[in-house]
Amino acid sequence: MNLFYFSSPATFYRLAGWMAPWFFALALLLGIAGMYYGFAVAPTDAVQGEVYRVIFIHVPAAWMSMFLYFVMAVYSGVSLSFNTRLGAMMARAIAPTGAMMTFVALWTGAFWGRPTWGTYWAWDARMTSELVLLFLYFGYIALSNAFDDPRRGDRAAALLALIGLVNLPIIYFSVHWWNTLHQGSSVKLTGTTMHVAMLTAMLLMTFSFWMYSIATALTRVRSIILERERRTRWVREL
Amino acid sequence: MNHQYYLWMSYGATAIAMALELAILLARRARAKRMIEEERDLEAQD
Repeated sequence: MNLFYFSSPATFYRLAGWMAPWFFALALLLGIAGMYYGFAVAPTDAVQGEVYRVIFIHVPAAWMSMFLYFVMAVYSGVSLSFNTRLGAMMARAIAPTGAMMTFVALWTGAFWGRPTWGTYWAWDARMTSELVLLFLYFGYIALSNAFDDPRRGDRAAALLALIGLVNLPIIYFSVHWWNTLHQGSSVKLTGTTMHVAMLTAMLLMTFSFWMYSIATALTRVRSIILERERRTRWVREL
Repeated sequence: MNHQYYLWMSYGATAIAMALELAILLARRARAKRMIEEERDLEAQD
């Protein structure tokens, strides 16, 4: 099978339309399971009490904010290197969801920080670098829409996405490089310090957010394809 | 304030953000379809 077959907007439009509802359904099912584990199975935290349950959306949103930026930058790099139309469209489709995840991570972090640290916000390295990520998403969206010719917007925004990649290791390692208010990772490749029910709830919600992000990106890229290809015969024949 | 306030503010805001994103997605899709209809009308006039 020729993989380039799916790089055609016409083919991918149909494929995305077939896949998106399945990803939405998976996101919903995993979200329900995650909420059940998070509120009915996971025990109350000995130190933080009930408020720790914010982590079941805070951590998945923070992970997805970085992961989506990385995927967006990869699509941008592919689009710049090979001049592919679909790569640029996918990067554009991911950006708003990435920005939303970053906002959710910052917002929920503030409402976790207030009862546990005594403040909604501190200019701490982890929080500040996550805020920079939100501005990078805003910058990408603004720059990609700042040109009359969308292909020029694609190229300018792709460059910004690639430059902004440098922020990802800063976010991830900030808690090790600087003395921060934000605690270090509880989940590592080598193991975890979390209760198994808490970890299960957090991972279920992470997969739910992941599926949601794929579903929204696929739905959005279908609209982008229609907007850009509206003068082509295949779109008019839809 | 008790823990319920912080939990509602977190989960509620997340639900609103997702609902808003889905509403914007639907609106964008409707706008794209309107653009295609306009193109079809222009072609029919030619």
